[in-house]
Amino acid sequence: MIETRARGCLLGLAAGDALGRPAENLTREEIRRRWGRLTEIEPGKGGTDDTEYTIFAASLLCRYGSALTSADVAREYRQRVVPHAAGPMRGAGFSERGAVQALLRGAEPPMSGLWHQHGWSDGLAMRAAPYGIFAAGDPAEAARLVAADGVVSNSGEGVYGGQAVAAAVAVAMTGAPPAEVVEAGLAAVPEDSWTSRDLRAAVAAAASGSVEDLYAAVVVPHYPWTDLAPEAVALAFAGYLLGAGEVEESVVSAANLGRDADTTAAIAGALAGAGRGEAAVPARWARLIGPADGRCLPDVAGRHVLDVATELAAAARAFSGRTARSGEGREPGSALGPG
Amino acid sequence: MSSGDRIRGAFAGLAIGDAAGWPSARHRSALLAPWSRRLERELDAFAEEHALTTLPVPFALNQPVGPLAIGPSDDAEWLAWTALTVHEDREAAFLRLAGRSDLRTRISVRTALANLAAGKRPPASGHDNPHHFDDAAAVRAVAFGAAGVDPRADASVTNALDGVLAAAAMAAAVAELVSGAPMSSAVAAALAELPDETAIGHATRTALTVARAAGDPFAAVPALDAALLDHVYSYGVAAAQTVAVALALAEVSEGALALAVPAAACLPSLADSAPALTGALTGAATGYDALPPGWRAATRTLAGCGLPDLAGADIIDIAGGLA
Repeated sequence: MIETRARGCLLGLAAGDALGRPAENLTREEIRRRWGRLTEIEPGKGGTDDTEYTIFAASLLCRYGSALTSADVAREYRQRVVPHAAGPMRGAGFSERGAVQALLRGAEPPMSGLWHQHGWSDGLAMRAAPYGIFAAGDPAEAARLVAADGVVSNSGEGVYGGQAVAAAVAVAMTGAPPAEVVEAGLAAVPEDSWTSRDLRAAVAAAASGSVEDLYAAVVVPHYPWTDLAPEAVALAFAGYLLGAGEVEESVVSAANLGRDADTTAAIAGALAGAGRGEAAVPARWARLIGPADGRCLPDVAGRHVLDVATELAAAARAFSGRTARSGEGREPGSALGPG
Repeated sequence: MSSGDRIRGAFAGLAIGDAAGWPSARHRSALLAPWSRRLERELDAFAEEHALTTLPVPFALNQPVGPLAIGPSDDAEWLAWTALTVHEDREAAFLRLAGRSDLRTRISVRTALANLAAGKRPPASGHDNPHHFDDAAAVRAVAFGAAGVDPRADASVTNALDGVLAAAAMAAAVAELVSGAPMSSAVAAALAELPDETAIGHATRTALTVARAAGDPFAAVPALDAALLDHVYSYGVAAAQTVAVALALAEVSEGALALAVPAAACLPSLADSAPALTGALTGAATGYDALPPGWRAATRTLAGCGLPDLAGADIIDIAGGLA
């Protein structure tokens, strides 16, 4: 059961990324003008940084498990991300590019996530789902682990956004209803935070079904970029609630809200896919999800999210067994690593 | 030299620095007709389409040319507004601006005003804000430092975290300088407000180290660029960069505005506000009478390019209200 939910989670994420991709940074009006309602993945285009950084995060968990530290993540960035950053780093958000520049200067976490100012970016939220899979049923552990990754590239609200997603996925992995999933996301972040305020507004707006109220409450109007984690996570959770946790309706709802549409649809797809399992992801979408092409992160080229999900589910089982036996999980699990 | 002369020096220095950077003419061209700014944007696109290195500049066809003469712009106006309201409740002062459609502001201030209008109060108005880290409050903090008033309540309306620490640091430095302390004491007072583990604390210590090693302000420019700026983001008003540069150049110049401000203006991405902050510190160090008379004269009358109510106001008279 864990495996089919894990596969559903990452397949839903990849499908949302691919569906939302052409709608990124578009207004709702422009989306309506182009597609009416955007429901079909553009064939042959694949996913973006959301999928590829998610595969990267999963590989960290396969290798280090619950012993993952920020120092481990920074070392993996230096070995697997930074060497590719001399040329164009396509698809990276401000937080990832900023973190690479900070790491190149010799900064270590958490300074690497503070130095570039874009701590609020949704770059962690977009790759947080694997932490919820790994810590299925344990939202506090998911939130703890994702923060170890998060402080390498993010700070403050950007870390909270990742924690909300990871904790919510951890509960979605139990098959809990959407309201409980969203509640777990809220419980993972401080009440006095931008993320919490936006998430509560999203829950209220989704309950009333008013997209206008949702926009008024969470969309930052006088800022040209759309990658703010509090906004993106709120829109993603709203899409998931509007879709009642069904994969297709959740992903489509999120993508058609516009803004950072690939990331918001990916997160909505991760939540819904974890709840409903692999078989609930529309087959016409699943057929279009191939191996990552590495356009954003060359290190993960060739990896398919379904294989990654299966490995991650196995790693979760292996690490929980090891932790139960020895009381600690340190020691790289090389057989499960990304090679 | 009196503290009043140093307060006037801080204000005049900020106005001079504000006028010295290339963005000043962009801000002041807000006073020109919208069609002329549209034409400038089209000329920018034309240069791109035709691969031209002849870059367009703000211009005033068929209009008064006065706004494009050297003069102060947004930062001097916000400092003047702050001085005029410095003893008021800060939320109330900003609430009077919320809902106005004739202001030009930084992203942090625009977002804070929208938050206030929507009922979101400080500190959330400054925290739930994509540019909570910018230097809008650090500019206003020059008035709080001059008046000896804590800047944090004001800063928290529009900023959070590094943006509020920056205001505390600027106010602390200016307060030291107007009391007659040397620049080294002012920098030490600023550093005391900037914890090591914050980006602004780390950046300011880095900036001081590389500027000291370079030995003088102009020599420090490439070192500051290399040490502080990653050139990833689309805006250059992060307080962790502009306040760091201002403190470093003010110190290595030993308070000489005529050395420090031009150097700050040589960092193009920071040229909107780093020169203004540098000017405030160095002007406070030497006092008003020691500043170049030509610059003093050219920058004392506000244009109203950000806050229209202040068009024609005299920033030195306003500074005198605090002296």
